[in-house]
Amino acid sequence: MYLIGNISIYLGIVISLYGIIANIVGIKKKSSKWLESARGAVLSLAFVASIASFLLLYLLGTSQFQYKYVASYTNESLPMAYKLTAFWAGNAGSLLLWAFLLALYGAMVVFSKEKKNPMMPYVSSILMVNILFFFTVMALNANPFEMTDKIPADGKGLNPMLQNPGMILHPVTLYMGYVGLAVPFAFGIAALILKRMDSEWIKLTRRWTLLAWLFLTLGNVIGGWWAYLELGWGGYWAWDPVENASFLPWLTVSAFLHSVMIQERKNMLKTWNVSLIILSYILTLFGTFLVRSGILTSVHAFGDSNLGTYFLVFMAFMMLFSLYVVMTRYGLIKKDSSPIEAYFSKESSFLLNNLILVAAAFAVFWGTMYPLISETFTGTKVNVGAPYFNKVMAPILLVLIVLMGICPLIAWQKAVFEKFMKNMLWPLAMGVATAIILFAFGVKGIYAIIGLSATSFMFGTHLQEFVRGINARRKATKENILKAAFKLTVKNQRRYGGYIVHIGIAIIAVGVISSHTYSTEVLKTVDVGNSIKTGDYSLKFNELTEHTKNGNGIVVADIDVTYKGKDIGKIKPEKIFYETWPEPSTEVSIKTNWSQDLYVVLSSWENKDKVTFMVKVNPFVSWIWIGGIIMVIGTAFALIGGRPTTFRYQINKGISKVGG
Amino acid sequence: MNRKILITTLLLLIVIPGMTTAFTYNSKEFKQIIGQLDMQGHADHELSTCSVKKIYYDEVIEMLNGGKTETEIIQSYVDEYGQAALRTPGGGTSGWIAWGMPAAGVGIGSVIVGVWLRKLTVKKAESKLETKEEWTSEVEKEIAVKTFDEERRKLF
Repeated sequence: MYLIGNISIYLGIVISLYGIIANIVGIKKKSSKWLESARGAVLSLAFVASIASFLLLYLLGTSQFQYKYVASYTNESLPMAYKLTAFWAGNAGSLLLWAFLLALYGAMVVFSKEKKNPMMPYVSSILMVNILFFFTVMALNANPFEMTDKIPADGKGLNPMLQNPGMILHPVTLYMGYVGLAVPFAFGIAALILKRMDSEWIKLTRRWTLLAWLFLTLGNVIGGWWAYLELGWGGYWAWDPVENASFLPWLTVSAFLHSVMIQERKNMLKTWNVSLIILSYILTLFGTFLVRSGILTSVHAFGDSNLGTYFLVFMAFMMLFSLYVVMTRYGLIKKDSSPIEAYFSKESSFLLNNLILVAAAFAVFWGTMYPLISETFTGTKVNVGAPYFNKVMAPILLVLIVLMGICPLIAWQKAVFEKFMKNMLWPLAMGVATAIILFAFGVKGIYAIIGLSATSFMFGTHLQEFVRGINARRKATKENILKAAFKLTVKNQRRYGGYIVHIGIAIIAVGVISSHTYSTEVLKTVDVGNSIKTGDYSLKFNELTEHTKNGNGIVVADIDVTYKGKDIGKIKPEKIFYETWPEPSTEVSIKTNWSQDLYVVLSSWENKDKVTFMVKVNPFVSWIWIGGIIMVIGTAFALIGGRPTTFRYQINKGISKVGG
Repeated sequence: MNRKILITTLLLLIVIPGMTTAFTYNSKEFKQIIGQLDMQGHADHELSTCSVKKIYYDEVIEMLNGGKTETEIIQSYVDEYGQAALRTPGGGTSGWIAWGMPAAGVGIGSVIVGVWLRKLTVKKAESKLETKEEWTSEVEKEIAVKTFDEERRKLF
């Protein structure tokens, strides 16, 4: 096993080196044999990475404690699901996961229907440079197949915080997003190297980019859900450096997904788009660097090695290489770019949207790095915590929501202001009505009311777009409303997929604004039989019991809950004392309804009869998870259908000609 | 004797309200102060499992009950740990740079986009297609054109 594992890692290095060389020779000699051989190398890499990955899974699942990695992250009593997911609990395993996913992506790309595309040898070389880096780091610094000096009787076990279904999915989805971005990056660079300044690379990578964005979204939402359930502080997003690291590429890819639409339709913003995808890719490396370097304090416990240096060097190399390619082709890119026809047009509004998204990314980057910058240049240690990000990001995200409401109403090429105002009437009325209703019901907090009204306006715009589309279709075909709605969305999957994503964002925004502004918290010590009252809830503490499960001691509080005087059942927050972990783990208990979460933490106890609880009432938190699911559905909807926009325009042009 | 009773009564009247308004973890003032403290990086930890956070909580409660104001309490921590005591950048050059830079970024970005737009934009006569009042919106136009196309394909 030891040999197979190590051979697979070293083979990974050799094969990726060979693949790169075969591609270079193939390109130089214009030899299809060499290029075919390089394609074989990518497939072999996927095979080798699969062997290494399945081997590690086997070692983890069968508790082979003679391997350092297995002994460090699992133990005998760990349930099988968590034994296997310990794969990505540490540095070595997560690097292997990265290499495995990248190799799979690489194989899918080079064996896609575009395999004969002249860009492909460049694309596969760039992907193989990435794979080479990961295998090299594993061989030099973080080998998952390293043996222990002395075989321990049992392993150290997995961090209790990672023993949650959220942690099974969160790292994998996030990695699939990170790794997925290497594909459009490789295509962008390949197009530049080949001096193909048209939008072909964008069309070829649309689905890859959307897929990466989908996984990044999913990864972030699941991460928030895990934090909410597992960390016990009652929140879902702490603006932790590592959380920020995954949010940064999400923001820049969001900008990219919008601006490529302009390049597809209008042949504009070529430099901008290629810069955005390079930036997004570099940010994925930067994120990994942050997680692994330990240069910033984070709840993510990866920063215990010198892996950061490797990532810093690789990041610098890729950045300089990309910069060189862009600079040497800059004149060509600019040469045949089309101009914008009017300030007041969809093109301009997309540019503005890009500015806001990039500004948001800059603000997050700045806040994340400022403690380090400040200490380096001024010698003063400064913390930049959640209150900073909340204050800085709130206005930026508010503008973004307003823009999301305005953009769909603006026409391409040149919008007419009067028509725009007419289109905006109903959504605006919806926003104003929301503000009035909130005031009328005595809701406090002017900023939250502004935010909720803006969200309502944005939602109204999208609702109106759906209604208008359905009506237009019905007018033309006399179809019934359901058929028209179905056909409208199916025939325009890109547009309506995007609108569904925006609706998901509106729902998340309601959850974020409400839970942030109107959350209440009570920390109270009660005796058996006594109650804690908060909001419409009353919690009666019955008893504190103790039992063991999988060798771990569990203390459970039994609480009866009433809502507005009506019995709604029991709630049982726990504390788990793991044998292999010094600190107890908190298992929060949550009761959810459509408008709020009752979030209870068993905080501490003096004796069995006197216990302290933290009780939070978090409004609309479940909307965040629902919004996340809607976003994923919308993205998947846009992903599985929809032809490139230019193709659609060719049809439309044809119609115009036929129609005279 | 009467004087002694009077003084004791007066003292009690002063002390009792103070006792009844003793601060707890649920007090608004307490939450306001604790929300500003980094607590040596333990601010986001869970109270029950974090001993450092517990010490800070008790210290703040003690200071509040000792009659200290929010400003005094915050200042006492800044005196002890410097700016690192706070969760967000405070005053001084460092604080100004931290808070001002995102705004400057947005401002500079707006100027760049403005200039860019100016460079990219060409004055052109309004397109006939856009000025026609045939379609009330861009969506309606596109949907209708696509639908006509589908119908045509069905028929021919």
